Amino acid sequence: MTEREIMCKKLSSYQFAVDDMQLYLDTHPYDADTVDKMNDLKAKLESVRVEFEKKYGPLTADANSKNRWSWVKAPWPWETEDD
Amino acid sequence: MFVYEKKLQYPVNIKTPNLKLAKIIASQYGGPDGELGASLRYLSQRFTMPLPELKATLTDIGTEELGHLEMIGAILYQLTKGVDRKEIEAAGFESYFVDHTTGVYPASAAGVPFTAAYIQSKGDPITDLHENLAAEQKARTTYDNILRFADDPDVKDAIRFLRQREVVHYQRFGENLRILTDKLDEKNFYAFNPSFDKKCFKNQMKKK
Repeated sequence: MTEREIMCKKLSSYQFAVDDMQLYLDTHPYDADTVDKMNDLKAKLESVRVEFEKKYGPLTADANSKNRWSWVKAPWPWETEDD
Repeated sequence: MFVYEKKLQYPVNIKTPNLKLAKIIASQYGGPDGELGASLRYLSQRFTMPLPELKATLTDIGTEELGHLEMIGAILYQLTKGVDRKEIEAAGFESYFVDHTTGVYPASAAGVPFTAAYIQSKGDPITDLHENLAAEQKARTTYDNILRFADDPDVKDAIRFLRQREVVHYQRFGENLRILTDKLDEKNFYAFNPSFDKKCFKNQMKKK
């Protein structure tokens, strides 16, 4: 695994935890403990995301409007190191 | 409104192409119980779904299914990358290759193109939620069947993740059904369509 892949996996892990809790909260919106836990994870996710985007380019098209090339260039999510 | 994120929900990193596996996994892209049908089903049903919890669940699961569609597309792309004529013939991949080369196309493992007939949006939340519960189990069984043939750990890892999500979604749709029936007249849930005959909700009956 490359350093980028390791960091992407870390990002995806936090993102997954947040998404799964959000799905749970759709049917349990008054579960305050889970809301707290999710907000805590969201903060961690945000810091990893900022670090990732600084190192490897934007994750969304508007994240870095000054540098369109860093959005356009590889790797795209389905590509691997040998593409 | 949708915003695209330039990453997969769960990493897909397959080092060894395998056309036989690609042929069967393709069914989860555009087959009868695949991710394209799943996302279209939920994102279409939500417009007439009553109750905020149900709208939220359909929106969030429908969106996640689009992420799963992308994961399956990545699996297919990586499983078919750099193959030669001999490998195509050995795997019996010619029938797909002649129409799509190695392009990712929504069809079942047997080659039937994707059709909206795979899904339903009935405009009745009890009916739609039962459809969704069944759909999650059908997708789960398909992933179980794929795992019977997959021996590459890189493929199995991603497929197991997707399989597990079907189980979680089934749980959430079960909760949706309970949230809905809790708010209906318990004497006969099926006498009304809660999307169309709004008076069947308990609070609205009291108002009368």
